[in-house]
Parts: sequence; structure tokens; C-alpha cells
Amino acid sequence: MKLSTKSRYALEGMLYMAVYGKDRLLTVKEIAAGTAVSPAYMEQIFFTLKKAGLVSTVRGAKGGFTLGYPENEITVGRIIRAIDGDLVPVSCVANLSSCKSKARSNCISRYVWIRISDAIAKTADKQTLEMLKDQFMKESDGAENEDIH
Amino acid sequence: MRKMKISTKGRYGLRAMIDLAVNSNGGCASLAGISERQDLSLNYLESIFSYLKRAGLVIGIAGAQGGYMLAKPADEITLYEIMTVLEGDMSVYDKFGPTTKIRSFLNKNVWDVIDKNVNEVLTGTTMADVIKNIENNRLSEDCSAL
Repeated sequence: MKLSTKSRYALEGMLYMAVYGKDRLLTVKEIAAGTAVSPAYMEQIFFTLKKAGLVSTVRGAKGGFTLGYPENEITVGRIIRAIDGDLVPVSCVANLSSCKSKARSNCISRYVWIRISDAIAKTADKQTLEMLKDQFMKESDGAENEDIH
Repeated sequence: MRKMKISTKGRYGLRAMIDLAVNSNGGCASLAGISERQDLSLNYLESIFSYLKRAGLVIGIAGAQGGYMLAKPADEITLYEIMTVLEGDMSVYDKFGPTTKIRSFLNKNVWDVIDKNVNEVLTGTTMADVIKNIENNRLSEDCSAL
């Protein structure tokens, strides 16, 4: 039951933007370098994030990426869903008709998947980029512009 | 693309285990019965039950009235035990790649927190709880049909 690497990198990239992209726009190259992800892969991820409206581009000499919504409206869950499509351990939780079993109408295990799904969403839908940024800055103790690795 | 999903083995295996718990009533249940009720192939159930048996979650009973039974009372088997046998590690993430400050921060503050929440559900729910929930649902359905 693993999250895709892509969705984890997406959150890393967006948190990096929130923390280090305050005063100027960052390019994908910078974000990739800061998160130790290959630039080509980060480019793909930001393409998907852009389609979902979570980031947008500003052209020009000082161009780069900017967040598509206020930091307090971007949750972990929203980023994962933009990349992976959903955030459920079994697809019937999001959509019962995705189950083709004859036993579907009186399924005895869906309740368990719903409970697990709720446990995941409880954290993912509550945590915003703003909260994570504030916590990150607090933990790095003001040294956030120095050594990022 | 790899998404966060429980495998077929995990999904079918849990369904079969719950069916067994509901239908063995202290005795045992046949794989043919589980197959029919759960719309799962007998072949698949045979392989999954030999695996569950080796893992010590079920006991096989030979003979004409034979089948399988839970290895322990339903209130002593947690979802955690079953899911770790069927799925292995239930964490939502693998540790990978060079560790950046952001990555270890997110591991600690997001992914480990999600893992903890999921583990609380898994370790805090027994097969007896699952059966009770199914019975309650049936009762409320019966009543709403009146």
C-alpha cells in the first residue's frame, strides 16, 4: 500500500516552493536541485500540477512557478489526488461501481477499506502547505536559506 | 503509475477471512461455500488458504465435513495480523533516495503520522468487531425493509 513516488515528490516540490520561493519565482531546475529529484522527472510532475491548477507559470526573465492557490488551501491530500487520481487503498471506497464482483451489494470487507481510507484522509486532508511550511521553518530554526540538504 | 493500492491478494484474502469468521460459527467453513458467497474462484481460494494456514491464521480440518477455521477466537485476531500476512508492510511509503531536509521532514510529519493512524485502526480492530459491524448492518437493513 505505497503512495506513488510521483505524489511524494510533488509534495516535496511544492513545500520547497512554499519555503524557498517567497521572494522570487523558482524554476523547475531549482526545485529539482533542492529536492534531489531529477529535473526531467520534476518537470513531468509540475506539468501535472499545473494542469490541476495547483501551480502556474510566470513567463519572463525572472519567470518561474508560483502556487495556484493560497498556501492554506493546498492540502497534502489535494496534491496526492492531483497526481494519483485518488487517495484510497481500494478503488471501491471512492466508487463502488468500480467493483465487478457479484458480492458487491453486500460486501463484507468494504467497511475495513473505508476505515483505513478515513485514517489516511484524516491527516492528508488536514495538513496544509502553510502548516507544513511553518513547522519546517520552526524545525530548521531560521537556517532555512543555508544548507538545504 | 503505481498508486497506493491494496493488492488482489490483500483484498480477496481479507474478504475470505471475514467470510470464514462469519460462517464458521465455532466450527469450520468449506472453501466451496466461501467461493460461492464471495464470487471468488476455488483455485484462488485454495492457494490463498494454504498461505494463510502456513502463516498460522487458519487451521485446515480434513474429512467430509472439513474445511477451514480461524486459528484463534475472532476477538483475538486483529486486522493488523491479517493485513501484514497478506500485504506485508502496511506503511504508505518506502524509504528511498538521498535524504534531503524536506524529505526527512515530510517522512516524520506527514507519512509517519498517516502510518500511525492506519496502524491504530488495524491494531484496534479485531475480527469480532468486523463481524459485529456486519451484523449491525444486516439488522438495520432488515428493519428498513419492514
